[in-house]
Amino acid sequence: MRVLVIVPAYNEERNLPGVLRALHEHAPFADVCVVDDGSSDATAEVAASHGATVLQAPINLGIGGAMQTGYLWAQRRGYDAAVQIDGDGQHDPRFIPAALAPLRDGVADVVIGSRFLGEDAGGFRSTAARRAGIRYLCWLLRLTNGVRVTDPTSGFRATGRAAIALYAKSYPSDYPEPEAIAVAQRSGLRVVEVPVRMAAREHGESSIGTLGALYYFVKVSLSILLLPGAP
Amino acid sequence: MIPFRLQVAGVVVLLALLLWVLWLVRTGRVSLRESLSWVLSTVAAIVFTIHPELLAALAHALQIEVASNALFALAILYVLWNLMTLTIATSVNARKIRRLTQECAMLRAELEEQRAARSQSQPSPTGESS
Repeated sequence: MRVLVIVPAYNEERNLPGVLRALHEHAPFADVCVVDDGSSDATAEVAASHGATVLQAPINLGIGGAMQTGYLWAQRRGYDAAVQIDGDGQHDPRFIPAALAPLRDGVADVVIGSRFLGEDAGGFRSTAARRAGIRYLCWLLRLTNGVRVTDPTSGFRATGRAAIALYAKSYPSDYPEPEAIAVAQRSGLRVVEVPVRMAAREHGESSIGTLGALYYFVKVSLSILLLPGAP
Repeated sequence: MIPFRLQVAGVVVLLALLLWVLWLVRTGRVSLRESLSWVLSTVAAIVFTIHPELLAALAHALQIEVASNALFALAILYVLWNLMTLTIATSVNARKIRRLTQECAMLRAELEEQRAARSQSQPSPTGESS
């Protein structure tokens, strides 16, 4: 199985070396492509010096557009599976083989790494307010799409060929994670979760502040409610 | 009824707007596609100005007591319609730009790959006098 790891990165020159080293150590079988989303720092150079393919967007696309660039590349290069890992060091590449297993066994098209599954979950599980938001999104996705997930905002995902093709064609913009689950479900793809551990960011700030939370809430709710049926 | 001079002034202003839009299309600064909503709605506004009895009939049909209020309502609709057309055009453009940017990013990676492959297969021409 040819696997492409997609690492979207916006001004992540400090976090990226650690992520790429960990990828090399725990997923040496995979090709790595860093989507440099119009960074103003040395993200692209750092990625290239660690041997990753760099997809350098000349202007900032936002996380959705950046992720889709990775999926377009995976589709064009004929990869069997794609894994998305954040460039900020939150996701541990140790869990990549576990995330690929359901794809290899042919029991899923989209695999989400969930920090709320498993016995000894532990690790970083975000603040109480965010967990409340996550519970709301779980409820909304179950109500509108009948899909049961525990960690809809997780950006740790593995996708098979069918999902790569779907996301290359249509991937949501702005805050795409929960909506991408709904998109997959409506296209008849199978979504499953595997337990993973996450860490807090090493450097820099999260992209969503307090005021942004309200916008996030409205935007994601509307995008899921207004999503058209299967194409 | 609209006083005659006001009517003339209205038609003149609207005609000027219409001619301006058509001139922008002619000189290639606005595409006909994007300007169509302006042309159509401005022609409609001119028709209402020349035949104010249409406006009175409309006000009567909608049970608007003062005909001028129907005019205000129409004017707001006119602006909203053109605004919405612009919003649609902006969204379409954003989608196209995103796709183009993604294509650029991929072509750049392809190019780097080709360059790397070439510099490996051939010794670099630096240092050679040609």
